[in-house]
Amino acid sequence: MTTHETIRQLLPLSAAGLLDAADERRVRQHVHECAACSAALDELAAVSADLSRLPAPMAPPDLLARTEASVAAELAAQAGLRHGAMLAVGAGLFAWVAALTTWCLYRYLTGSAGWLAWLALTTVPAYMAAGAAAVMFASRRRLERSIL
Amino acid sequence: MIYQATHFEDVPVAEPDEIARLRRHDSAALAGVVGQYQHRLYRYLRRLVREPAAADDLFQQTWLNVVRQLDRYDSRRGFDTWLFSIAHNAAMDVLRRKTGESLEESAHELAAAEPDALAAAMASERTAILASEMAALSAPYREVLTLRFEEGMKLEEIAEVTRAPLSTVKSRVGRALETLREKMTARYRKEDLL
Repeated sequence: MTTHETIRQLLPLSAAGLLDAADERRVRQHVHECAACSAALDELAAVSADLSRLPAPMAPPDLLARTEASVAAELAAQAGLRHGAMLAVGAGLFAWVAALTTWCLYRYLTGSAGWLAWLALTTVPAYMAAGAAAVMFASRRRLERSIL
Repeated sequence: MIYQATHFEDVPVAEPDEIARLRRHDSAALAGVVGQYQHRLYRYLRRLVREPAAADDLFQQTWLNVVRQLDRYDSRRGFDTWLFSIAHNAAMDVLRRKTGESLEESAHELAAAEPDALAAAMASERTAILASEMAALSAPYREVLTLRFEEGMKLEEIAEVTRAPLSTVKSRVGRALETLREKMTARYRKEDLL
């Protein structure tokens, strides 16, 4: 490929201001000596300048309000989910602490280590916590569906 | 005259403290940023998908995706490029589903659209003719042109938004500009406007 052909390929990037300094110098030197490339660069530069002045399409006047509303709904849904997750973690912790407490209480009151009775007692708060979490998530899903 | 991107200095961009508030899911900060970017983002989407209704839907979808992905945003990256890359992904999904729209790099895919009523009134204006010629280019070419000349992005930023290698971005910018130059030159000769 000749220098002319190589430089010719760089002209659009030069007109777009996207060449590095070294290539830009090569282009300028060549254009100084080559009338065809000089004319082509002028035309490309004119197109580039016009592209930056194209009339911008205007957004519909209510687009911003509609977008803000849908974004606010999304943020609220996300905040609800985070809140629900924190409640679920809290319920789990509560069930764990309740299980340990009943184990200690059972041993203190009965002086025995009957594991079946302990298991029966500890599953009650665990099931209660799981039930509460399930109800909470179900109501959250209903709320999300109503938003969407 | 070589194109200079200096006139983009007044383009509104999200400030670091706004980004910090965004990451905390601050609804007021998010509403502010949506407002700041509304014209730029809408313009980019209109150039890319051309149809107002599709651009409208994509604008809203982009911001919903921003909210959903905020936790994954790396504040060392520019917010602009992150935002536009989310918009790019959403637009590409739409364009892939759309019949008659090619994502291939074809500069001569469509006949130039006739100028609309506004453009017809401005028929003597180069920019109106150029806008219709640009709209006739395929999506990858329209995209790099609007990111470079309307958003003032650098090569690296365009590559990040479009997820294309630098060499591909250079090639797209070069071919798109060259095609427009040829079309404009031919049109002006034909209409004896030069």
